[in-house]
Amino acid sequence: MSVRELNVIVAGVGGQGILFTTNVIARAALKLGLNFAQSEVHGLSQRYGSIRTELRIGSDVSSPLILEGTLDLLIALEPLEGLRQAPYISERTTVVMNNHVIPPVGAYLERFPIPSFDEILELMRRLNPKQIMVLNAYDIAKKAGDYIVANTVMLGAAQATGVLPFPEGVLREALEEVSPSRYRDLNLRAFDLGRESVSPPR
Amino acid sequence: MGDLLAPANTLEVLLGNEAVARGALEAGLNVAAAYPGTPSTEIGEALAKVAKRVGIYFEWSANEKVATEVAMGAAWSGLKALTMMKHVGFNVASDAIFTLAYAGVTGAMVIVSADDPHAHSSQNEQDNRHYSESVGLPMLEPSNPQEAKDLTKEAFELSSKYKIPVMVRTTTRISHQRGPVRLGEITAGFSKGKFVPPEPDRYLQVGAIARKHHAELLGKLKEISLDVAPSYAKVEGASDAEFGVITSGVAYAHAKEALKLVNVNAKILKLGMTFPLPEKDIGEFLSSVNTVLIVEELDPYLEMRVKAIAKDYAPEVEVLGKLTGHMPRVGEYTMRTVLEGLSKALGVVLPVNFAEIDRRSSEILKKVPPRPPVLCPACPHRSTGYALRRAAGRAAFMGDIGCYALLFQKPFRVEHVTHAMGSSIGLANGIDVATDQDVVALIGDSTFFHAGIPALINAVHNKRKMTVVIMDNRITAMTGHQPHPGTEVNAVGDEAPAIDIEKIVRSIGVDYVKVVDPYDHAATEKAIRDALKHDGVSVVITKRECALLTVARLRRQGQKIVPYRVNPDKCTYCRVCINTFACPAFVDTGSLVEIDPTVCFGCGACVPVCPYGAFEPQEGSLNWREQKIGV
Repeated sequence: MSVRELNVIVAGVGGQGILFTTNVIARAALKLGLNFAQSEVHGLSQRYGSIRTELRIGSDVSSPLILEGTLDLLIALEPLEGLRQAPYISERTTVVMNNHVIPPVGAYLERFPIPSFDEILELMRRLNPKQIMVLNAYDIAKKAGDYIVANTVMLGAAQATGVLPFPEGVLREALEEVSPSRYRDLNLRAFDLGRESVSPPR
Repeated sequence: MGDLLAPANTLEVLLGNEAVARGALEAGLNVAAAYPGTPSTEIGEALAKVAKRVGIYFEWSANEKVATEVAMGAAWSGLKALTMMKHVGFNVASDAIFTLAYAGVTGAMVIVSADDPHAHSSQNEQDNRHYSESVGLPMLEPSNPQEAKDLTKEAFELSSKYKIPVMVRTTTRISHQRGPVRLGEITAGFSKGKFVPPEPDRYLQVGAIARKHHAELLGKLKEISLDVAPSYAKVEGASDAEFGVITSGVAYAHAKEALKLVNVNAKILKLGMTFPLPEKDIGEFLSSVNTVLIVEELDPYLEMRVKAIAKDYAPEVEVLGKLTGHMPRVGEYTMRTVLEGLSKALGVVLPVNFAEIDRRSSEILKKVPPRPPVLCPACPHRSTGYALRRAAGRAAFMGDIGCYALLFQKPFRVEHVTHAMGSSIGLANGIDVATDQDVVALIGDSTFFHAGIPALINAVHNKRKMTVVIMDNRITAMTGHQPHPGTEVNAVGDEAPAIDIEKIVRSIGVDYVKVVDPYDHAATEKAIRDALKHDGVSVVITKRECALLTVARLRRQGQKIVPYRVNPDKCTYCRVCINTFACPAFVDTGSLVEIDPTVCFGCGACVPVCPYGAFEPQEGSLNWREQKIGV
């Protein structure tokens, strides 16, 4: 398999499982022997602030940071955080977006208006991404058993877009490997439900 | 996440920091010690996790200087030792390290400095390459996780050979970059060494002996610059190119890819050892081009030295970089930074229209509310901040380094200062000397052990009047939950004597000491009010474990986390909760406040905040204060 350059951002609010989600994709890339560089931020900035990880897969990749306008896949675990990736989004971007808005509490104190999900979607459309998939990831996660696996639901949906260059099953196997044992079954259920929410069950 | 002990010759996904740890294990590490600090922390976390299985000794030390001395002690006993720290941690350790360069080691020692360009999680953008030169220790700089592993291992080999410590410098985008790493054989383990100085005066640095060792060190560095540094200088690209780039570390990764995106005939000189520099290799590279662009983050460290070398080797060559305004000096680099530098230097057409991207995205971004980091739901510091605001709103607040630094934000605003580890108490001394204001120092448990105690002793001895609030959340929280001297377990999970903060404070002679559960807002507020009235040094210890630990334990125990709710019949939409407590689980619907069940941890700390009693438990909700959960 050969991939020259595929750029992925997973964005959300610290605590939503952003790093875990990205690690699963990186593990899948490793299983296929693909080169990749993943960039993440630890420390103070993980505390309920804006968080994104960047993952670049392919033989042309050496920098761990994505160039503006060259994003291929955006997994937005929270829609405002998806929109915050605006400089990276272009005609080549597929957006998979959770519809649950988490308002930043500081915005209330600063009287900064918080856009509704519909307004966020409209703003996202203005960036002309290739496609936008919207999910109610928390509801789907609850169906799988616990809202905390909303990130894995989103991962399943991302797989269903076909943007990731992985043959059927590889990402799911990576998820199985990376999951802590007590969350493994829950994660796999969430992944399958996420995938089916975008494409019909098979 | 990656398997640090995966077998040799396999590829494993490792974080840059994990790769450093693996490199040390492959080099035959015996002893490692560190104080956590972003972006260096995961090196220690990785080692702590495998220490018992591999048989090495690992500790989280009280601070970076002690950690360095622990590693030195081992290296002076013939063992292989490692210490690692964030860039500002090096300042704390530097007193020991400067003289260590003269002393050298009997075994081997590697010091990792993890710098943080962009100050992602730091108070400054200090460039520790300067330390390498002024201390006089060789420095290796990896440009990806694979090199982080390889160069760490090689640093140990160099240290063994030359009998001086060797530094490895990473930056955030190396420390926190995950990538595939080809592994080698682990040879680490532990066996007792013996403290036998190789010469009687080896470890005695005074006067004439120090001067002798200084000269010796300079001789070794000269040798390394001639024999070792050239092997870390790699030239790539078109040999006939008249334009060159000199770079190192992660800046190399950006530069390499950026050059591919523009149509320029160029060559790159990549430096893996940035002190001492391979003068002749740099000189020859300069002689082969007309123009050279220096691509390095932070200070013009390479640029100034390349200019000096150019004088001797290629006086005609044009050296471009920060000093010429082609590259920025503040913040971290990306491909864009390099592309814009290339555009300024060569006038090349860029593959991306940055102006158009900026215009389009700024229109969108001005509608996206900022989301700075905030204290977590259930965080005990929120409750302490709430009580402080009510009890001591007019005081001068000296903050410190930890999650509680976020209390500078609205609605609390009880941090006027955040500076350096332990500075809160030291500064409170000075503010009290200089003013008649009430002064409050806020410090966390781990920071108190690290550098707070001498300043508190100073305050008592010098008869200061000030209040110290020690926010004891039973862990080093901000860096991801490492044990410290006050915890009942040590770095590798063994039981350890927990040093009692209250006893320390009392033994120093502080005569007003109160320990409270910060969730008990009324008691906390009263303790602070009384402390401010006390004539002398007063200490309030707000003691409750980090909420993330409590939630993790509850989940492990199979306890369901049931969020609280707002009773819509009781909520008057007065917004007192948002305006004074600001839990990130609060949602303002425009007519009511609600709780986001995906964010709420179900702690119940908000209950006393509402004047109308609108926060209510649901079936299965806990009340952490009443049920003594987390204290």
